[in-house]
Amino acid sequence: MPPKPHRALIDRVSGYADEAGAFLRRRRTTRRPFARVHVPGGRIDAVDADTEAGRELFLAASRVLDAAAAR
Amino acid sequence: MADPTARALPSAADAEVAIARLEAMSADLRGCAILDPGGAVLAASADAEAWEAVARELLAAADAAAGEAVTQAHVGTEDGEAFAVRHGGYAVVAASDRFTLASLMLSDLRAVLRDLLRGPAPAPALAASGGGSTEASG
Repeated sequence: MPPKPHRALIDRVSGYADEAGAFLRRRRTTRRPFARVHVPGGRIDAVDADTEAGRELFLAASRVLDAAAAR
Repeated sequence: MADPTARALPSAADAEVAIARLEAMSADLRGCAILDPGGAVLAASADAEAWEAVARELLAAADAAAGEAVTQAHVGTEDGEAFAVRHGGYAVVAASDRFTLASLMLSDLRAVLRDLLRGPAPAPALAASGGGSTEASG
C-alpha cells in the first residue's frame, strides 16, 4: 500500500531539517577564528592571526568581548 | 538666519536611544558603544570608560591591519565576535555571541549609525492635516 501523500511530505521536510542540523554542527566544529576588515571602495581583507597586526586585532577584539562580559 | 536644513550633531541622549534600539533589534548582541569623530564615547551599554578604551583599540588595530581607515571590521574568536562600523566620522563597536549572522549584525549597526546621524524622524503630519480622528462615527 503506497504511503499517504502527507507522510511523504513530512519525511522530505524532516530529511531537509536533518541535513541543515548536520551542516550547522559541522560549521560550529570546523569554524576557526578569523578577522576581516573592509576599507573604502569595497575591498575586504582577511587578516592573518599569525601577523603582528593580526595578533593586535585579535587581542583588541578579546578586550571588547571582556568589556561586554563585564556589564 | 539659521539654516533650516542644518541639524545638530547627535547628542549623548540620541546615542543612548540608538543603543537601546540596537539592543532591542539584535538578540545576539552582548554590548556596544558609539564613538564620536574624536574617539570619545557618546554612549555605551555598560561602563563607558572601559568601552571607550577597548573600542578605540579595536578601531586602531583594524586600521593598522588594513593599512588605512576601515569602514567595517569583524573579528570572530572562540569566545564571541567583535564588530566595528564607521559612518560619517562616528563609529559603533559591538560584541556578540559566537556564530551570529554577521551580515545581519553589520546591517543593524550601519542602520543605527545612519539613523543617529540623520536625526529623529519628523513627526507624522496626521494631526496637522486635521483628518486623523479615530473616533467612531456611529
